[in-house]
Amino acid sequence: MTIIKEENTTISLLKDISLTALFVFIFTTLIITISGAPPFEAYENIIRGAFGSYSKFGQVIKVWIPLTLCSCGLLYTFKINLWNIGIEGQMIMGAVFGMAAFKYIPGTCPAALTILIAFIAGLTGGAIWALFAGFLKTFGGVNEIFAGLGMNFVAQSIILWLIFGPWKREGIASMSGTEQLSEPLWLSTFTKMRISPTAIVLTVASILITAFILKYTKVGLGLKAIGSNMQSAFMYKLKPTSYMLLAMIFAGGFAGLAGTMQVTGVYHRLIPTISSNYGYLALFVVMLANYNVWAAPLVALFFACLNVGSIQLPMVLQIDSSLSGVIQGALVLATLGVQSFKTMKKKRREYNNSNGRV
Amino acid sequence: MWIELKSIHKHYGNVRANNGVSFKVNEGSIHAVIGENGAGKSTLMKVLSGYTSRTSGEILVDGEPVYFKSPEDATKIGIGMLYQDPMDFPQLTVLENFMLGQIKGFRNSEKKFKEKLKKYTDELEFDLSPNAQLKTLTIGERQQLEIIRLLSLGAKVIILDEPTTGISVEQKDKLFAALKRLVKEGKSVILVSHKIEDVEILCDKITVLKQGCVTGEMEKPFDLEKALMMMFETESKTPVRSKIVPGKKHIEMKNVSVSGGRTGLHNCDVTVRRNEIIGLAGLEGSGQGVFLRCATGLLKPYSGSVSLNGKNMTGKNILSYQKENTVFLPTNRLEEGLIPGLTIKEHYSLRQKSRSLFVDGAKASSDSKENISKYNIKGDPRTLVESLSGGNQQRLLLSFIPDDAELLLLENPTRGLDIGSANWVWELLQDFSKDNNSTIIFTSPEIDEILMIADRVLVFFDGKIIKDVKTDDTNLDEIGSAIAGKV
Amino acid sequence: MVKKLIVILSIISLMAAFGCGDKAEKKANKDEYKFGLIMVGPHNDHGWSQAHYEGGEYVEKHIPGTKMIYIDKVNPADRPGVTIPQIVDDMVEKGAKFIIANSDDMSDGTLEAAKQHPDVSFIHISGDHALTGKAPKNLGNLMGKMEYGKMMAGYTAALTSKTGKIGFLGPLLNDETRRLASAAYLGAKYAWEEVLKKDPKDLKFEVIWIGFWFNIPGVTADPTQVTQNFYNKGCDVVISGIDTTEATIVADQERKKGKKVWAVPYDYKGACKGTASSCLGVPYFNWGPSYVKNIKAAMAGNLKSEWVWAGPDWKDINNEDTSAVGFEAGAALSAENKKQLDQFIVELGSGKLNLFKGPLNYQDGSVFLKKGEVASDKQIWYMKQLLKGMIGQSSTK
Repeated sequence: MTIIKEENTTISLLKDISLTALFVFIFTTLIITISGAPPFEAYENIIRGAFGSYSKFGQVIKVWIPLTLCSCGLLYTFKINLWNIGIEGQMIMGAVFGMAAFKYIPGTCPAALTILIAFIAGLTGGAIWALFAGFLKTFGGVNEIFAGLGMNFVAQSIILWLIFGPWKREGIASMSGTEQLSEPLWLSTFTKMRISPTAIVLTVASILITAFILKYTKVGLGLKAIGSNMQSAFMYKLKPTSYMLLAMIFAGGFAGLAGTMQVTGVYHRLIPTISSNYGYLALFVVMLANYNVWAAPLVALFFACLNVGSIQLPMVLQIDSSLSGVIQGALVLATLGVQSFKTMKKKRREYNNSNGRV
Repeated sequence: MWIELKSIHKHYGNVRANNGVSFKVNEGSIHAVIGENGAGKSTLMKVLSGYTSRTSGEILVDGEPVYFKSPEDATKIGIGMLYQDPMDFPQLTVLENFMLGQIKGFRNSEKKFKEKLKKYTDELEFDLSPNAQLKTLTIGERQQLEIIRLLSLGAKVIILDEPTTGISVEQKDKLFAALKRLVKEGKSVILVSHKIEDVEILCDKITVLKQGCVTGEMEKPFDLEKALMMMFETESKTPVRSKIVPGKKHIEMKNVSVSGGRTGLHNCDVTVRRNEIIGLAGLEGSGQGVFLRCATGLLKPYSGSVSLNGKNMTGKNILSYQKENTVFLPTNRLEEGLIPGLTIKEHYSLRQKSRSLFVDGAKASSDSKENISKYNIKGDPRTLVESLSGGNQQRLLLSFIPDDAELLLLENPTRGLDIGSANWVWELLQDFSKDNNSTIIFTSPEIDEILMIADRVLVFFDGKIIKDVKTDDTNLDEIGSAIAGKV
Repeated sequence: MVKKLIVILSIISLMAAFGCGDKAEKKANKDEYKFGLIMVGPHNDHGWSQAHYEGGEYVEKHIPGTKMIYIDKVNPADRPGVTIPQIVDDMVEKGAKFIIANSDDMSDGTLEAAKQHPDVSFIHISGDHALTGKAPKNLGNLMGKMEYGKMMAGYTAALTSKTGKIGFLGPLLNDETRRLASAAYLGAKYAWEEVLKKDPKDLKFEVIWIGFWFNIPGVTADPTQVTQNFYNKGCDVVISGIDTTEATIVADQERKKGKKVWAVPYDYKGACKGTASSCLGVPYFNWGPSYVKNIKAAMAGNLKSEWVWAGPDWKDINNEDTSAVGFEAGAALSAENKKQLDQFIVELGSGKLNLFKGPLNYQDGSVFLKKGEVASDKQIWYMKQLLKGMIGQSSTK
């Protein structure tokens, strides 16, 4: 029915988002006030911390990139109704595979080619890791959430083992990470913003590719169909198992790309917390974006601003930066709240209309 | 309690599902609302039961205007609706489903509700075991539970939407007896149906809807021909069984046993030859569904063998069956056939055969438009399938039968269709079978329909085929008693 | 109603937000010399980071017109995704002209940031970029000669121990930590063999590494558990080598249960506070004077890229204006042992006693110092293994 279609427009989505933001705003203001800090100064600092200068905004973009890549990946799995919580581990394995490429490709290989191979390796690593969870789901009957959490744990153990073991720095055993990559293997950056054009191009391409695949290809339609009603898949000769594995491959691939990006673009080495919880955060991003491929990068940008901007809180106001986590958590809860508020309002509006009142 | 509808409008965008409907339902009467598929019957009832809001118009209960925002509100006022597909919780037991929506506070005595449930089942002579899991019940039994639940919630007016679809003759009789008893107690019943014969034996008054408007009202005794005229533009002709010469072995089951459904399927030995049209009779859930799902590869037998066109297909999956041009259309349209959340056009896109990675949007559009007009589906390519009426969903599903289909396995293919549409569908299928040399195996809860269409009947009872007979060699009574297990 | 309320609320909040912004702008003082301090742990950890934080406060007090900007908990576990160059960028934007990074974990990041900001002076604590030649002109290194403090720690531990079993709660494994654990062992060995004249075989000195400078749940070993294990194994003194105070806290708890155990914390002068019953004393860093020296030089424009290893002021190792490392005796140290310790310090200070003197062998038996050989600074700085006689890993397998 057309009426349902009309309400699903981008404008309505934006309205939801701003309404949600407002609730969160009021909620966090309350929390900061209770904790005894000046709330508006806190907000101001977060905003300045995210947009105050080129380098700060560059930093936001640096966070936005892995967050958006993971979100792109999750769009595929959410489409087919899979909760790919294992995205965190997939990102870690992407970083591990990427690092392996950097480590074992001889220095005689041109840097650009090495980086390219590392990206492919990272993508493959993430995809393989996702496939494990996918196989556990499709053939082992293990719920993908548990499979994913398990694989995350294994990935975390592997990266710790590598950093403390085979890949440790000479004579050192510290969780501060492996030896740094040589500078030619770092993604080159704009001087002022310190962001890499390669990374941005890759990310924007990922968004466009995801949007295209989901909207215009049979793969996208098949994912949506199976996600909406797996029981009917046979009518359309769709194999749910293959599509689930495919979605996992996509998700893992994008997460792996994000992992490699963290290695070559941000830390220039492998560290135990290379994934920085961006995978988990991306789950929030995609949910908040209402699984919309165009909204997800915007929400990711917002989250990145919060993450980067909130470092100002301990620096300037001496309050803990975990406030950004509070805001993000409150956002997800508020989204649910706004959704139910909207249904309530819609019902009331329809009711009023039916009685000739406005 | 009496109800009056005054100029009810319900518009979905440009679609006017109800366009100024007015009539009155008297206290203590059974009122029928009839009309062809898409006439606006279901929408009107959804408005009346608070499931959807009206665009304009007034509802009076005992002369007072009422407003409700939800089915709960409507139930509080005393209006309860039984949907075409009962909305309940399959994993819970009968008693738990009964208790849902009635419990208040934290402490609830199961005993109290058990007694209440028993009181109602005794009174209405329903046969419901409180501890049975709901998914093991037939649609008829689920209906009975829903009626009791509505009564227990205080419903004084009960709306039934196509209640006799998919239930056995026995259950139908039980239902009608119960409804008559309720009316005697002063309750009112609104019956939505396209089955004119049901209406005739049960109802006191008829309102006919066509294209969202009331086209006629009638009191007992009814002039059925006139009623049909009000429903349809033209009279439809009844299909005639076509003479068929069975060909080579098409599908053969040898001693097949499958688990699934309520009863499973036990030791099934059947050979179907090409061009045959076979009707599967039996109480709902007696093994017909399992048989069809086994014949299409959805369920795999744990013993016995299946062969198609002489090839051994035992243990193969549905895709292998589909390669042999087998088509299965399930009766649970929104659960097993269509994909809620997707539009008609998207469904046709999914069915595109080309190996291209991309969806051919233009072709999907033209496919949709072509089939919408060919199958007379009331909707446009952008319509979400769940918002189509039941009959239109069925038409959409039928349109999915590919041109090269050889074995058509149809589970209750005319479910939710009015007589005119059903006849039209059968004509189409018969022509298809003739043109393509294809075989049809179908189920139907209506013995009449089976005897009218099929040239061979298989009767299922408790997961077994207890009768396999040519239609010419049997009659209604014989099949009727076979369905009850008496051979 | 609700809608209006929301609109009013948001207008008020926005106005307030902008209003505050203007005021903050005006408050800023342009004449201030700002320096940034990046700490790996919390600024109030009673350990490594707090010592730095108070060093920064010392600078503010002793050089008028200086102002500290700091951020603590800069490590990948507490602030995932945050990098040193990012923080440095921010501090520089806030006007910092001098940056102190206080952890070996920040080694790569500091080097990267220093290259990006050639006009800003950097000090990387405990690092060696200036020694290896990797450092650009604006990056220097600073460290205190804590091996003396650790010798005192080991010395008091062995004097006090009844069982002769001493545990060393080690952080991660690198040159610095091997050096400090070895120094503690040398102090303990000296007390055991030369002062108490006990059988060398009865001294058991064990090192367990947790994997980082402080506890990161799920990643490092839990220092609380490691300390408890030491005490359960029969150790009666635990010397802490990590940034935080788990060792003394556990020791105090064990004492309450009736065990006669002690602990020697690390890093921060006030680390014994609250755990007086078990605390034998603390070897600590006093960063203030070195910071003042460096920042004054930077302000004058003549800071050099140097690798500085600042020692104690042997005249008074606890002089807060002159000594880079010190040892604050704790309440649990007996008066008699305190006297012995003072004597030990005098001997160390006079040069009469040098514990890094051959013959000393590495754990695998290879020679570290030949008989009579005195270790150079570089030899001590780059310890490749633990010393023979110590129990524990020299490196990971």
